[in-house]
Amino acid sequence: MGDFKLTTVEEFEAATERLLETGKKVGADAWQYRVKNQTPHCKFGEQGICCRICSMGPCRITPKAPRGICGCDAHGIVGRNYLKFTAGGAATHSDHGREICHTLYCADPNGAYKVKDPEKLVRIAKEWGVETEGKDIYDLAHEMAYKGLEEYGKVFGFQNFMNRLPEHTQEIWKREEVAPRAIDREVSCSLHMSHMGCSSKPEALIRQSLRAGLADGWGGSMAGTEFSDVLFGTPKPIDTEANLGVMVAENVNIVVHGHDPSLSEMICEFADDPEMIAYAKEMGAKGITVSGVCCTSNEVAMRRGIPMAGNFLQQENVVLTGACEAIVVDVQCIFPALGPLSKCFHTKFVTTSPIAQMPDSEYIRFSAETAAENAKSIVKMAIENFKNRKPELVHIPDMKQKATVGYSVEAIVKTLDGVTNSQVDVTGTTKPLIECITSGVIRGAVAMVGCNNPKIRPDTAHIELMKKLIANDIIVVASGCSAQAAAKAGLMDKRAKDLCGAGLKRVCELADIPPVLHMGSCVDISRMMVLVATLAKDSGLNISQLPVVGCAPEWMSEKAVSIGNYVVGTGIDTFLGVDPYVSGSDQVAGLLTNGIRDWVEAAYTVETDIEKLVDKMIERIEEKREAIGI
Amino acid sequence: MTLFDVVFSGNDTVYGLTESAINDAIEKYGADKPVAFPDTAYSLPCYYGVTGTKVGNLGELKEALGVVKTLMTRQKRLNDAFMSGVATALCAEFIEVLKYMDGATPYAEPCYGHLGDAIIRELGVPLVTGDIPGVAVILGSAPSAEEGVALIKSYQAQGILVTLVGGIIDQCEEMGYKTGANVRVIPLGKDVTSVIHVVSVAVRAALIFGNIQGGDAAGLMEYTFKRVPAFVNAFAPLDPVIVACGAGAIALGFPVVTNDVATAEAVNVRVPKSLIVQPDVSKFNATSLEARDIKIKITNIDIPVAFASAFEGEIIRRGDMQVEFDGSRVDCCELVRTCEASEVEDHKIEVIGPDLDEMPEGSKQSIAYVVEVAGKTMQSDFEPVFERKFHSYLNCVEGMMHTGQRDMIRIRISKDTFNAGFRAKHIGEVLYAKVKSEFAAVVDKCQVKIYTDPAECTKIRHEVAMPMFDKRDERLTTLTDESVDVYYSCIMCQAFSPSHVCVVTPERLGLCGAVSWLDAKATNELDPQGPCQVITKERVIDERIGEYEDVNEAVQKFSQGALEDVSLYSIIEKPMTSCGCFECICGIEPLSNGVCIANREYAGMTPIGMTFPELASMTGGGVQTPGFMGHGKHFIASKKFMKAEGGIERIVWMPKDLKEQVAERLNATAKELYGIDNFTDMIGDETVAEDPETLLEFLTEKGHPALSMEPMM
Repeated sequence: MGDFKLTTVEEFEAATERLLETGKKVGADAWQYRVKNQTPHCKFGEQGICCRICSMGPCRITPKAPRGICGCDAHGIVGRNYLKFTAGGAATHSDHGREICHTLYCADPNGAYKVKDPEKLVRIAKEWGVETEGKDIYDLAHEMAYKGLEEYGKVFGFQNFMNRLPEHTQEIWKREEVAPRAIDREVSCSLHMSHMGCSSKPEALIRQSLRAGLADGWGGSMAGTEFSDVLFGTPKPIDTEANLGVMVAENVNIVVHGHDPSLSEMICEFADDPEMIAYAKEMGAKGITVSGVCCTSNEVAMRRGIPMAGNFLQQENVVLTGACEAIVVDVQCIFPALGPLSKCFHTKFVTTSPIAQMPDSEYIRFSAETAAENAKSIVKMAIENFKNRKPELVHIPDMKQKATVGYSVEAIVKTLDGVTNSQVDVTGTTKPLIECITSGVIRGAVAMVGCNNPKIRPDTAHIELMKKLIANDIIVVASGCSAQAAAKAGLMDKRAKDLCGAGLKRVCELADIPPVLHMGSCVDISRMMVLVATLAKDSGLNISQLPVVGCAPEWMSEKAVSIGNYVVGTGIDTFLGVDPYVSGSDQVAGLLTNGIRDWVEAAYTVETDIEKLVDKMIERIEEKREAIGI
Repeated sequence: MTLFDVVFSGNDTVYGLTESAINDAIEKYGADKPVAFPDTAYSLPCYYGVTGTKVGNLGELKEALGVVKTLMTRQKRLNDAFMSGVATALCAEFIEVLKYMDGATPYAEPCYGHLGDAIIRELGVPLVTGDIPGVAVILGSAPSAEEGVALIKSYQAQGILVTLVGGIIDQCEEMGYKTGANVRVIPLGKDVTSVIHVVSVAVRAALIFGNIQGGDAAGLMEYTFKRVPAFVNAFAPLDPVIVACGAGAIALGFPVVTNDVATAEAVNVRVPKSLIVQPDVSKFNATSLEARDIKIKITNIDIPVAFASAFEGEIIRRGDMQVEFDGSRVDCCELVRTCEASEVEDHKIEVIGPDLDEMPEGSKQSIAYVVEVAGKTMQSDFEPVFERKFHSYLNCVEGMMHTGQRDMIRIRISKDTFNAGFRAKHIGEVLYAKVKSEFAAVVDKCQVKIYTDPAECTKIRHEVAMPMFDKRDERLTTLTDESVDVYYSCIMCQAFSPSHVCVVTPERLGLCGAVSWLDAKATNELDPQGPCQVITKERVIDERIGEYEDVNEAVQKFSQGALEDVSLYSIIEKPMTSCGCFECICGIEPLSNGVCIANREYAGMTPIGMTFPELASMTGGGVQTPGFMGHGKHFIASKKFMKAEGGIERIVWMPKDLKEQVAERLNATAKELYGIDNFTDMIGDETVAEDPETLLEFLTEKGHPALSMEPMM
């Protein structure tokens, strides 16, 4: 094992404390303080029983007032709120996917955006029944982009990507009326249903929640992932580093934050440009370091090995280092706090998307058509800002871990090919993984996803769950801020194999992988869906029979609820560490944790005690094994 | 029933048998009765290896059984199955040691039973050097005696040590097949428990050679997993005891290959690289070797004439020639292609078209040979590296001459060689054997297709080879010093130039001209501890002259401190050293403010006032000589050629012959960098001048750009 050691949450926290000291010197605010100001939270809100969808209210449910003015009871209110929450998430992911489709539409052999994985484009085109023979790859790209955009408003039929599912799943979706139609339609329909005076029946509201989620996972998110791969390359294993120590004091530090890779890819491109590096040197720096926060970071880490400075609740820390010349953001999960915070330092807070505009930021509107010049001017601005640093405020915690990332489904299959025996096996399938699972060498798999949330000690749940899972021979695939927590701790270092049970350890050694596989950003949970669909097809089992569960222990956003709905909808039991504001209705909670199993063969488990949460997952995995006799 | 259940039940069975055997023995002899294997210093070697405790008598053996029981946990985790496998092995050792009570000799010819320490020490060296590339443990009865013996024979032919347990021993006897340590086939015993005697060998190898301490079970298992190239072939039917033993083998890192499809279907036994079901016994060999990553060194090339470097320079004259293949007249090519493992059948050699004896004597024919390779670490960047070696391989064949490369090859085969029985497939044998042996690190499987049918050759050349060559050329032009993350060191010639280090970059190949960046990369992948090491280039000191902190550190390390710092692109400031095998030397010619280049083949005088040997004597030996630099021919047209001093514009003189060789690429670079057409016309040669004054007149007349550049010194 040599000198390899995980970084502990205590060490993370000590580093944060030190940064907050700097913050105090300059009068900076921080989420740690704002949480205190906001506690205790509104109980009605927490239980989901506050209704403010019409101006007769707001109404809130108490034992004395069991119905709102319109007569809606707690179950209707909780259900409607849950559906609205889902619609928010589905809209957000899917609009990101739409942007990617649009970028693909702008791809040009001589332009800023090129088709980096033409083979994948052809593969998807064939899946969609689009003629590829003899077609120029850019003509095909534009045609597919157009088709992709049509998925958002298609008049009839279901999402194209559904044909990747096993027959069984497709059938139950149609039977249960949760098969997603046009993406925008599902979002609109959700908002329609949850309007004053529409649905108040929990079954109807939850059913639509599933369908809206599925439109995200098997529609918008999947388009986002797949067409990002076409544009920027399908990830393959690559080494990188994680945690604030990746920032380099002598260099111009540009931090990319948000979700959409269109911007960050261009920033990386220009940060590598010799002309820009020379300019940085002229300005007194030694070079340029791009690092990332949140899912934009995951995107560029998976494809370029760009280091990860941190996850969601570390976004303010990046600025608090005093060494961040620019934090460049696109969309989603960006604290408005970054504006005022950046004013306490020399940091430029650069917003770029009309979708995410914030006070106290420099707004450089970014578009696919003018991407190169936008990116160049942002990089230049960062370089020119280097001289404004206040050296006395600079402190970068000396803390980072190595990580091997880039496990797209394609890369996983390629890795599995490496352990096949050409005398007996075929390549290009997930069969080796299935054999590891059916023989019991690996007990199962957990998809760890989701955010940070101050309600849980940040990163603890992610890291502790993963440690226990891998020690029990359960392989972990991770995405989003969960993946970054793992990387910061060191769980994506191949040497972490020594923390595994004998079975997973042997698999890591033979396949040369870390025990926690980084599958990408939060839209890339669609990769996990493709993986389970492939596993089901390759094994002949139903998805719901696979010893696989999903888990979001520290989730916080609307997107996470949408994700949860499509993961469950796909047939995978999902475990949450934070309650989705449904405790105010036993009917809604009952449906989510049990009732929907009759529809889609999977349901939620909510457990805020992390130790119990992991034991429940292991138990569920063993139950599933037992049920199919393995 | 799951795989783990089977392991647990097999373990329980063996444990029960062991317990009653020990109890019976104690009842019979008393607890103080000594127990030991003969000729070993390691007591019960497996038990000692795992626990660090030596067992001397029956009482202690019973205590040991209590320790074994603690390994037999029953959680549903692989660790429990592994440990139950180990427990089963230890029980087997206990049962076996009881057979040796009172100095008994329980095993009779042909069986060996326990193997003494001396045998292990004897096997140690060939195992370490790879002369014994693997150890096969064959267990049970083959479907037929013929198949069993054929399998043993196939391993013997590869130098693999074979141990036999159970019915296979009778099958050998039935066939009259010779066994014994001297022929590397060791029958251990007919009871399944006798398999422990080979496990005991592996454990003692770890104790003797690996310096593993008794009791360091984790270290022991890591050693056997990483260093003992053993594997198990277990014939159907597998009973739970065998499966439990198999779990022990897999715990030690030894994959198990079985033909027991029925059990595999009933219980999910398949585990990649560990427990493999191969219904076809004739494929056990290939399956096992692949599972254990054993690669067989090929030392013998099956051709009817000699193969040696002595024949490399042999010329075949027209009159001596049986047949000629000439790429300048008809369609020919040589090609390496990377394929999927499933597409390649190892050692398959196909001839497509007429063989040599169907070709008229003295005729000119087409040929295209395609070497298809598969390997888990194979990269398409290695293809041209292999291909460039074909020239040397084929020339080593007695009576065969090969010139050129790609689709411009010419091959002649002599009448004598043809008459000795040399045919088209033998070209395949040579290429197969050399590629497999020299590139074993990346090539797992290799097959050769030899096309002599003219239509096929045309098709292969134009539809397969040319597009691949174009693609590679494109890749080469995109490889620049800036586009890669690492460079490579090359110290191949330190044997005679101990302080010299070449830093090989995409745009600056080794000064010998033979090691390009891709070659160095391949050399590094093939032999990670070898002469080419990765050099990072992250900490730049001076971009102009190409100086990096990390490159300097590497140079210091690889020159054992003789060199402090080097630049990649300057001839004046910290130039790279030269060994002695440079293709060319470049030196400053002060009068014209430029440089002259002389190649090794040039015998005359240069305007510097020195001949090539004189220049070489002051440039070589691994020392830095500012103003002089050894380099490869290919480097002359590079954009990085003395970039710090202004680049190729400085070249004022080179021998005519050399000038012609590099003209096309040099002119292209000059056009690209400075917009100069036909730059080589401005460069002097020995027909123009051999002294600086005449050269200067010529350069002035031509308006050579060096004359108006900044002074070099």
